[in-house]
Amino acid sequence: MKPILLQGHERSITQIKYNREGDLLFSVAKDTVTNVWYSVNGERLGTYNGHTGAVWCVDCDWDTKNVLTGSADNSCRLWDCQTGKQLALFNTNSAVRTCGFDFSGNIIMFSTDKQMGYQCFLNFFDLRDPQQIEDNQPYQTIPCTDHKITSAVWGPLGEFVNAGHENGEINQFSAKSGEILNKAKEHTKHINDMQTSVDLTMFVTASKDNTAKLFDSTSLNHIKTFKTERPVNSAAISPIMDHVVMGGGQEAMEVTTTSTRIGKFEARFFHAAYEEEFGRVKGHFGPINCVAFHPDGKSYSSGGEDGYVRIHHFDPHYFDFELEA
Amino acid sequence: MQDTVDMADDPDYEEEEPSFSDPEDYEDDVDDEEMLEDILREKPLEADGIDSVVVVDNVPQVGPERLEKLKNVIHKIFSKFGKITTEFYPDADGLTKGYIFLEYAAPTQALEAVKNADGYKLDKQHTFRVNLFTDFDKYMTISDEWETPEKQPFKDFGNMRHWIEDPDCRDHYSVIYESGERTAIFSNDAKEPIVAEERARWTETYVRWSPKGTYLATFHQRGIALWGGEKFKQIQRFSHQGVSLIDFSPCERYAVTFSPLMDTKEDPQAIIIWDILTGQKKRGFHCESSAHWPIFKWSHDGKFFARMTPDTLSIYETPSMGLLDKKSLKITGIKDFSWSPGDNIIAFWVPEDKDIPARVTLMQLPSRLEIRVRNLFNVVDCKLHWQRNGDYLCVKVDRTPKGTQGVVTNFEIFRMREKQVPVDVVEMKEGIIAFAWEPNGSKFAVLHGEPPRISVSFYDVKNNGKIALMSDMNGALTFVDTSDCTMMNIAEHYMASDVEWDPTGRYVVTSVSWWSHKVDNAYWLWTFQGRLLQKNNKDRFCQLLWRPRPTTLLGVEEIKVIKKDLKKYSKIFEQKDRLSQSKASKELVDKRRTMMEEYHSYRETTQQMYQEQKSARLELRGGVDTDELDSNVDDWEEETIEFFINEEIIPIGDL
Repeated sequence: MKPILLQGHERSITQIKYNREGDLLFSVAKDTVTNVWYSVNGERLGTYNGHTGAVWCVDCDWDTKNVLTGSADNSCRLWDCQTGKQLALFNTNSAVRTCGFDFSGNIIMFSTDKQMGYQCFLNFFDLRDPQQIEDNQPYQTIPCTDHKITSAVWGPLGEFVNAGHENGEINQFSAKSGEILNKAKEHTKHINDMQTSVDLTMFVTASKDNTAKLFDSTSLNHIKTFKTERPVNSAAISPIMDHVVMGGGQEAMEVTTTSTRIGKFEARFFHAAYEEEFGRVKGHFGPINCVAFHPDGKSYSSGGEDGYVRIHHFDPHYFDFELEA
Repeated sequence: MQDTVDMADDPDYEEEEPSFSDPEDYEDDVDDEEMLEDILREKPLEADGIDSVVVVDNVPQVGPERLEKLKNVIHKIFSKFGKITTEFYPDADGLTKGYIFLEYAAPTQALEAVKNADGYKLDKQHTFRVNLFTDFDKYMTISDEWETPEKQPFKDFGNMRHWIEDPDCRDHYSVIYESGERTAIFSNDAKEPIVAEERARWTETYVRWSPKGTYLATFHQRGIALWGGEKFKQIQRFSHQGVSLIDFSPCERYAVTFSPLMDTKEDPQAIIIWDILTGQKKRGFHCESSAHWPIFKWSHDGKFFARMTPDTLSIYETPSMGLLDKKSLKITGIKDFSWSPGDNIIAFWVPEDKDIPARVTLMQLPSRLEIRVRNLFNVVDCKLHWQRNGDYLCVKVDRTPKGTQGVVTNFEIFRMREKQVPVDVVEMKEGIIAFAWEPNGSKFAVLHGEPPRISVSFYDVKNNGKIALMSDMNGALTFVDTSDCTMMNIAEHYMASDVEWDPTGRYVVTSVSWWSHKVDNAYWLWTFQGRLLQKNNKDRFCQLLWRPRPTTLLGVEEIKVIKKDLKKYSKIFEQKDRLSQSKASKELVDKRRTMMEEYHSYRETTQQMYQEQKSARLELRGGVDTDELDSNVDDWEEETIEFFINEEIIPIGDL
């Protein structure tokens, strides 16, 4: 499959996200730029200008009306998807690491880093209440004293948020009361990324401990583990097949001392039930920082340390491939 | 003591000199120790003298006319060990009695004399026996009661060769991973390694196998521990503070350890030789540096070990641990030496010295007969490479021929098994990078050229001919069949830092060690034909070492018989392999089936819950059904988009 190469960033990609219908692909990077592209041909629609620091996260609501971004410039911003206009600015005391709309698109959450003497907080805003936005007062803010949140996803009905921490823990925070409903400690190191299945019933976590794990969204039961020999930066669940794609590599600091071979970094495909790797896709010039499946499951994208986003459409024989059972 | 009386107070005091003597009945109660402490320390003790006295027996009995000469000879021999302060030659009937007494300045010197001069052959009829004088006392007062020595409980370590008895002939290998925290011993099965033993913090740095695979040595701050047997119990411990290196004698009777810390003049402790079975320290040696470990090289049968110091070759024999013939060999300029792996022959080489050309010498031991000497001219450097059985010695000679600037390399091949040890010369055109003999034959391989253009050449000594040349190996693994020099397979293991063949030559392991590369730490198992069997990832994998096998107990005839009947055996093995293969795939298939069933049943329960929550979802999204991508087709807009197809430059021509 010949990939489509999106060149719109000058520094490493931090996150990519498809909208619910899959026609748009959002990409954010350390160069402060937020881009949106047509996923079918790679044509860029436009950018959302405003951030002055590295943009760590991006999310789009279910109706593709609003876009949410979080940045190291200590702000989380809300944008109108179509016009690119900034609708709201939430100033914070430290960098915003992860953000997301809930199922209804009315409530947003974002987490801030433990920095400069400020703790890590998980903030909730109701977008239907303009007062909260004007006063920059979340209706709910949960402090995390020990280990900061590195990635978080909403539960299936917007009742809770599953958050991954830098020590490998996962906590389930109620969006209404703020209390911890559930816990899981399966990973031994930093959780780099968390992504839900298309029906939000499961999520996959990618960790620095060289594994990715599959959990049930509600019970936090650990279902599967996918092992590699490199830190996993991102993982995503296929909407139509029992597959999981993972991208990884080493931290930027260590890269120069090891492999500089062209295209050495690969996206790996695992069978979700058998936990076995069955395929790899080469092409990136550096570690892969983010992977995402198109909602129709017929293509996937990856964003790398090299600043490129690659969109891959699967060959027909990908869908026929079966491991002997 | 009486009170002193001030004489001046006495009215009867007269101006005369006062008496300072003690009154007559005065008793001195200050004892000697208090007053003469420092002088008393030097009081000659009776015991001192005796400890430094040695008795020498079997001294020639001479008359007074030869006594002076005898005394000179004795003096010359015995003053080597220290300062002789007194000597006594008892005589009777005009002849010396045949034994003498010598006193040294210190007991340590007397000990030296006993250690080194006892057994000294003066001439055919007189071999000195030297003893400490105090020993006589000791031996004379042996109690008449015989006390049976305490019985040591028998430590049963089980079958030390247990791993060789594996019916599937699986070799062991040791793996150190988690950056040294865990050490495991695996049994090599083609499908998957089977754990034989795994321990945390088994060693503090690394491990070593003994030459026949019987023991595993682990390193600790306080010394070495040896493990073995079926359960890898601790067999022996050697206390050597700060030990950093270990070597074994080929027969596995002795171990040699090196520690840079412990070394004193009186008690050399840098290198210690241990008896493995008893755990006893046999002898200690000084050592300046451990640059060329092993410092001591063993003969193949463990009868001798030798080391090189400037201009000297010291050969020691076991089990006495004493110098062979009580003296080292003076070989001026000796640069390197090496034992034959098959016979007790040492090869050494000496560089040019003014008019005398460089030469390689083959010396037989213990006779010290030089069975072959070869002169070499304009030599820059030599390296000795023995063939595995000692059938051939290859000396790589780097020379600068007269009148040229560059260095040229020759291989001088000594044919050890032939009369007079003839030498063949093979000239090499390019610089040599590496050399290796075939383990059980007469071929050798040479890596030559300049990186990245490196080539391999194979030579067969028997036919005296070059077999093949292969070139351009750019970091790939090339599997070559040397019987006909065909390349069986080329493969790759990115950033592999080590390559190790198993003892049987059936498998080879390439590995990426954490010590050289911080990611992708794993070891890969290949067949000898270059087919990849396993990729084993191990967190922070450090080192893999195959466990050596002891030499086969089969004789040459028996091996011939087995080779003849190989077809019969291979049928049985193939059947066994097929069975295990299908069992493996069946196991895998079964495992997958169960996993799939579990997964599907989990998905079903969640799907059920999902369906139940449908109304909640509709409510959250204002009645819009988003469960499927095509749930709300009405909402879709049609858009025209452009695709980039092709680019063509059409020259318009002159305008």
